[in-house]
Amino acid sequence: MRTLLSFLLLALASVVAAISTSGNRLLVVLDDVADKATYSKFFADLEEREFKITYETPKSDSLNLFNLGERTYDHVLFLPVHTKGLGPNLTPKTLHDFVNAQGNILLALSANTTTPTSLVSLLSELDITLPTDRNSLVVDHFNYDITSAADRHDVLLLPAPKPVRTGIKDFFSEDAGTKLIAFPRGVGAVLGNGQLLNPILRAPRTAYSYNPKEQAEAVNGDDLFAAGQQLSLVSTFQARNNARVTVVGSAEMLQDKWFDASVTKLGGKPVVQTFNREFAKRVSGWTFQEIGVLKVNWVEHHLEEEGAPNDSNPAMYRVKNNVSYTISLAEFAWDHWIGFNVPEADEVQLEFSMLSPFHRLNLKEESHRLAAVHYHTVFTIPDQHGIFNFMVNYKRPFLSNIEEKNTVPVRHMAHDEWPRSYAISGAWPWIAGIGATVSGFLGFVALWMYSAPVGAGKKVTVKKTQ
Amino acid sequence: MRFTQALLLLAAGAAQAASSWSFDDASVSVAAKKGSDAIKEKFSQKAPLTKPVGLGSTDTVKIILTAKEDGKAKRPHQAFVTIKEQETGLEAPFPLTVKDTGKAVVQISQKDLPVQFLLSPKPLKASVVIGSFGEARAVNTPVFDIELQTDPNAPVPKYEAPVRYGKKPEIHHIFRPGPQSPPKVISLFFALAVAAMVPVLFISWLLLGANVNHLTKALGAAPLSHVTFFGSIVAMEGVFFMYYTSWNLFQVLPVAGVVGVVTVLSGTKALGEVQSRRLAGER
Repeated sequence: MRTLLSFLLLALASVVAAISTSGNRLLVVLDDVADKATYSKFFADLEEREFKITYETPKSDSLNLFNLGERTYDHVLFLPVHTKGLGPNLTPKTLHDFVNAQGNILLALSANTTTPTSLVSLLSELDITLPTDRNSLVVDHFNYDITSAADRHDVLLLPAPKPVRTGIKDFFSEDAGTKLIAFPRGVGAVLGNGQLLNPILRAPRTAYSYNPKEQAEAVNGDDLFAAGQQLSLVSTFQARNNARVTVVGSAEMLQDKWFDASVTKLGGKPVVQTFNREFAKRVSGWTFQEIGVLKVNWVEHHLEEEGAPNDSNPAMYRVKNNVSYTISLAEFAWDHWIGFNVPEADEVQLEFSMLSPFHRLNLKEESHRLAAVHYHTVFTIPDQHGIFNFMVNYKRPFLSNIEEKNTVPVRHMAHDEWPRSYAISGAWPWIAGIGATVSGFLGFVALWMYSAPVGAGKKVTVKKTQ
Repeated sequence: MRFTQALLLLAAGAAQAASSWSFDDASVSVAAKKGSDAIKEKFSQKAPLTKPVGLGSTDTVKIILTAKEDGKAKRPHQAFVTIKEQETGLEAPFPLTVKDTGKAVVQISQKDLPVQFLLSPKPLKASVVIGSFGEARAVNTPVFDIELQTDPNAPVPKYEAPVRYGKKPEIHHIFRPGPQSPPKVISLFFALAVAAMVPVLFISWLLLGANVNHLTKALGAAPLSHVTFFGSIVAMEGVFFMYYTSWNLFQVLPVAGVVGVVTVLSGTKALGEVQSRRLAGER
């Protein structure tokens, strides 16, 4: 009965909160409101996911990302604009503050329009480098669409991207089948070496970026911006406060005509559907915190010794205690929380550390509940006393950060927790000595009190000496 | 409509099959810093080199080829030599400088290569990529391997892999070895040696003439005192035994106090009786 009630309540709660974890106020910055029609399917998908969309041009007066110190929007989507600057309300500093206030940004660039300097500054701050000449285009003479770009080769066709390393959760290539992603007339970026940057979609090995105005004839050695997989077509940045910035190199791939279009790759199957609609849903879903968001439900640790009380989260432990630790993790999947299953080759790890980890242990998935998966381990506290932390520091590409720290003091052995001397074999001679002393003493007392002298009654005369 | 579309695509495909890019008169040569052309090897699209090309630390490898579209020399838009490192799959492009006649040349030395290549254990694979706009099919063929010959005197280039989020190696704390006892045999031997001293003591006393001859006399003279006195001494040892096994100090002290008082009170009487025997000359 109780479980039924709690299940009903949970179902009700999940119906009510059917949107992203970080709010649903979305600002779209575009050139003029007529552009809305070319992206109508994309915006319709967003509105279906219950985003409240506001459309503004960059120079409009009513555009304000902050009001009295609070964000007025939770997410911003930039479409290509033809103005060189974005106006006084969207300065690089404002955008930077927006990300610091946990706002998410989705930037769509285009090879046909110059990227505004505010956005280029913001991206260079995040270590995402765009081509300096502002007109560059990514082409590939091997992976292009024959139907629409037979001559210019500027519509790239790519399979849905698999994770670049093992252990990364795959959000973007599920159920793609044979569909290809069309990347028409887009800009490739080069990512810095930091761990906060992750590419979603990388250019194929034979692709390269060139400037149609200056490099129309051939690409020379010194002027090549980047080629192959160093070019990132859809790049992401997740800040340490979990704010997400995504750069989609081609805004045209979000347009209606490329959603569910039919394309033909050179040397591939005759006609293939594009995966763009689903891919746009997933990229915007990731950026606007609808997928890839993790949460810690609770943490529980207790003493795991026979005969000892095992109440949860005691205030103190002792050296060499056996301790059991469990953490319950949940993941947000579009509109409700589910249990988080760690990817195959990856592990959630517990660090038991004072200044540096004494233990780093892989947690095992122990049980699955509604909207929770428990990760559990049992270990022995080191033989060092001090103030220790149970630390689960789980930061992975495309997942929000988990840093759970529980501090416990670890005390020394108490005076009565050491093994008794009769249990220590080296003490036996000494115990035997004590026993010998005691029995000798008692025997002596008895003898002294109750014995008669040998040669009884002999008087000892004291000889007088002169 | 679909049928004609398919026909058009088929025709386009057929037309494309006809024209494609290729390269000809291709050769790779390794020149030492001194300037002499040491080795020059020819390769072609169909016949890549079988032996790897050695590249020393001061050498420059020079690749020359003529790009051709449908057999006619022409300048392509993209003419790269891509070098790939086999361990990690990292690839670096080296664009060829192409003249209008289609002749292309590029020179690569070890300092142009990314540092990750210099640390690779396997040879590097070089491919030629030639492509351009229009219908002509682009070409991407592996042509030769490069084996790096590092200077043994030069320091190994430093490369720190960038930080990436992922699982870290497990750490299990290594505990200090606990306190150890010597082998039980030794402990038993010495314990038994000590315990054997007790009968030795008693037997020595017996041999020296120990006896309890005055016991009946003492008990006759002051039975309660003697029993209580000796009993309290034994009881005191008992209190110490209880302290050793289970009691704590706060349980021991009152009991020890009581036993001590009993010892003192009964002792005056008992030892007085012993004094009387001494004064009577019996001791």
